[in-house]
Amino acid sequence: MPMSCHGALQELRQEVHLTVALAGNPNVGKSSIFNRLTGMGVETANYPGKTVEVQLAETRYGDRTIGIVDLPGTYALGGISEDQWVARQALLDSRPDAVILVLDATNLARNLYLGLQILELGVPMVVALNVVDQAKARGIQVDAERLTEILGSPVVPTIATRGTGLDALMAQVLDRVTRPAPLPPRLRYSVDVEAAMGKLERGLASRDDRPHALSPRAIAILLLEGDPEVGAWLGGLEGADELIQLCDEMRAVLREVRGEDAALLLARERHGLAGLIAAEVERRQPQRALTADRLWRLTTAPLTGLPLLGLVLAGIFSFLFYVGDWLSTGFSGLWTAVASPVIRWPFVALLGDGVLSRTLLWGFDAGINAALAVGIPYVLTFYVLLALLEDTGYLNAVAFLSDQIMHKMGLHGRAAIPLVAGAGCNVPAIMGTRVLGSMRERIIASTLIVLTPCSARTAVILGAVALTAGWKAALAIYAVTFALALGTGIGMHRMLPGRGTGLVMEMFPFRRPGVRAILKKTWYRFYHFVVMATPIILGGSIILGGLYETGLLWSLARPLRPIMEGWLGIPAVAGLTLIVAVLRKELALQLLITLAMVQYGPQASNLLSFMRPDQIVVYALVNTIYIPCVATIAILARELGWRRALLISTFTIVLALLVGGAARGLMTFLGWQG
Amino acid sequence: MASPRPTALTDELLEDCLQAVHRLEGAGRGEGLGRVAAFARVTEAAAREALQELGARGLVQNGQPGGLTLTPEGRRQAVGILRRHRLSERLFADILGLPWDRVHDEAMRLEHALTPEAEARLATLLNHPKTCPHGGPIPAADGSLCVPATRALDQMPAGARVRIQQIVEEEARFLRYLASLGLLPGAEVRVEEVAPFGGPLLVQVGEARYALGRDVAAKILVQEEEREEPVSCP
Repeated sequence: MPMSCHGALQELRQEVHLTVALAGNPNVGKSSIFNRLTGMGVETANYPGKTVEVQLAETRYGDRTIGIVDLPGTYALGGISEDQWVARQALLDSRPDAVILVLDATNLARNLYLGLQILELGVPMVVALNVVDQAKARGIQVDAERLTEILGSPVVPTIATRGTGLDALMAQVLDRVTRPAPLPPRLRYSVDVEAAMGKLERGLASRDDRPHALSPRAIAILLLEGDPEVGAWLGGLEGADELIQLCDEMRAVLREVRGEDAALLLARERHGLAGLIAAEVERRQPQRALTADRLWRLTTAPLTGLPLLGLVLAGIFSFLFYVGDWLSTGFSGLWTAVASPVIRWPFVALLGDGVLSRTLLWGFDAGINAALAVGIPYVLTFYVLLALLEDTGYLNAVAFLSDQIMHKMGLHGRAAIPLVAGAGCNVPAIMGTRVLGSMRERIIASTLIVLTPCSARTAVILGAVALTAGWKAALAIYAVTFALALGTGIGMHRMLPGRGTGLVMEMFPFRRPGVRAILKKTWYRFYHFVVMATPIILGGSIILGGLYETGLLWSLARPLRPIMEGWLGIPAVAGLTLIVAVLRKELALQLLITLAMVQYGPQASNLLSFMRPDQIVVYALVNTIYIPCVATIAILARELGWRRALLISTFTIVLALLVGGAARGLMTFLGWQG
Repeated sequence: MASPRPTALTDELLEDCLQAVHRLEGAGRGEGLGRVAAFARVTEAAAREALQELGARGLVQNGQPGGLTLTPEGRRQAVGILRRHRLSERLFADILGLPWDRVHDEAMRLEHALTPEAEARLATLLNHPKTCPHGGPIPAADGSLCVPATRALDQMPAGARVRIQQIVEEEARFLRYLASLGLLPGAEVRVEEVAPFGGPLLVQVGEARYALGRDVAAKILVQEEEREEPVSCP
């Protein structure tokens, strides 16, 4: 459960000897360092109203406990975007004893910009010069000693994915905090800027109530940049009129002499300084582009990008299908052979073979067996794939390739990233739409995510349709869903007032994903899935079992007949499982299989014993499209408001019934029964 | 994002739409209704009505191919508004000390209220500035405009090396976000790839590579590095 960030940071500070913050640009190996330094006990914290998370963990070094605060990866600190705001706020709130700045040795100039900002805030810094192996492969050598001198902060070369250099890094961190810091480095802006800043600094020096106990220089820089928070602090001060006037005057003077606003001027000079430092410490040997880099560019090249994307999608689909099916058979077989008899025995021994014990066994035997056969194998497999796509950087290529089609739906390419995540689970994906600029984009993207088959629905499509009606039928369901989502997106873009914003996104070089990082990420997501899903599966199965064992099921199913049997042509009981599945989508198939197993014995896990393939297709189609699960509805309501959540849910129910009925009609017309 | 204004056909609305056509035309793009409406921050319906009125007054015409262009009289008036807008921006930025990313919104209001006399006095007060806070040139009182020959980044072919001249975007957060990535006026950019059929561009700035949507690239005005184009003063 995420907790309030400010509180969590205070708590962490009290528990440990030292607090260290990890900062760096996105995708420079910061998470690898965090994962290497810490164990499994990771906490996440949020600032109210922000989705970008801060991760906290404790670790031991020698006889000391160290609290590590993993800031979100950002290009800069500031108020412009959510990640930049959270990074700065958490950095100031955690008042770390030192910051570890993770630099990408292959892109020093742009990375140093953030480092300069951290030094300006006056926090002791230790630099992890990461991916030195990749820099070397690209003919770049960085003089760590010279960089140490210039920054006045120790620089340690590291290869985080292999853990190289991390001991030396921690030793430097301890050294940095136990010994007094060396003199502030000689990092200066141009004469004009320094003059303006100097006047402000002198004005600020007498005030001892500076926010976050920042140095006068740090405050002066923030004031010149027009930082709203520090501006508000100054505005609220008693007797600070002179200071406010001085600040305005300095900004006006800078504009006069440099013809540019102070904020832009500072950004420009910081970029310039970072570039000069990089040029001084780097030695570049001109060489041909790496084979890996050239191959990686094929993922975005006009002629090869889309075919490769098709191959990747086909690969994902078949991997899910084969590995998921293999796991499914394995888990389920193991359960039937080993666990099932062990579990049945105490129930029967204690309660006899009555309604109560049979009802409980629906949950604890058949229910768990169905979860092992349907939900877990496909969800687990998908999470491994998702982590791979994220860590190689391929998701950004997907965003690049899909920018144009997203445009037709009023979105831009970055929306592809939550959409792909939506194929895992809709809930975090909908939260992920906060990276999109406007509410309009978030409404469209969230609706599309709801129409994206999550791994639970994929489990139903693959576990029911692909196995009984063939993979072509399963693909057809994906095609229909894709077309529906596309049509919905285009329609919403036409109907909703306003227009979309544009794509601005960094493209990363190929990174070989670390096995540890992939496994940790997969485990983290999978664990949350199991914790959330298991009680619902148990509860749902037991309720359904009770209804079945008491015979109530058939009377409850009766009112559904007109819609289920008349319109969709599937058994009314199957319709009942569709409704229960609003708890969790894979529950539909699990309950159906449980129902079959109870009715026909454990060998009847084959659905074909009571439904035809064409019925299964309609069943899976309706299950895929209709109303997201309760968790999704709740997150929609939280993010977009109840009215929109209900509108989206109603829309999907109507759509599912229309499409389901149409599919049945079409299959009847063609005479296809599988 | 400012919400669209109520739609009465005021002088203010007409002037905003006239300026929108002028600015978008200046960026070298035949522009549609949606872009004009977005620039003037009105609904498309209001923009359509305003453009019809401007057409009836002989200020705007439908040029080839399909884009809107100004008539000579329309251009004269639009340049006048542009001058008042950018002078107002300088007033807000230099004298009143508003942050550079907020002056556009304020100037959108003041530009309609200035009389020719107030405009002349303002220019004198500001010591006849040549550019607005975003780097855009301010037309002289006689309507002449010194523009460095620039093209929008989205019209550059793959392989082009360019230098950013100006960013024609009036939204504060966006400008500052681009600046934090190093995409600011003066930065060198290499166009690596241009996705076909209106897809995004892949550009290199320093060692970093960025994907920029076509619409974003259209707001970045650049000069080609190889042949520095001279500033032309008609």
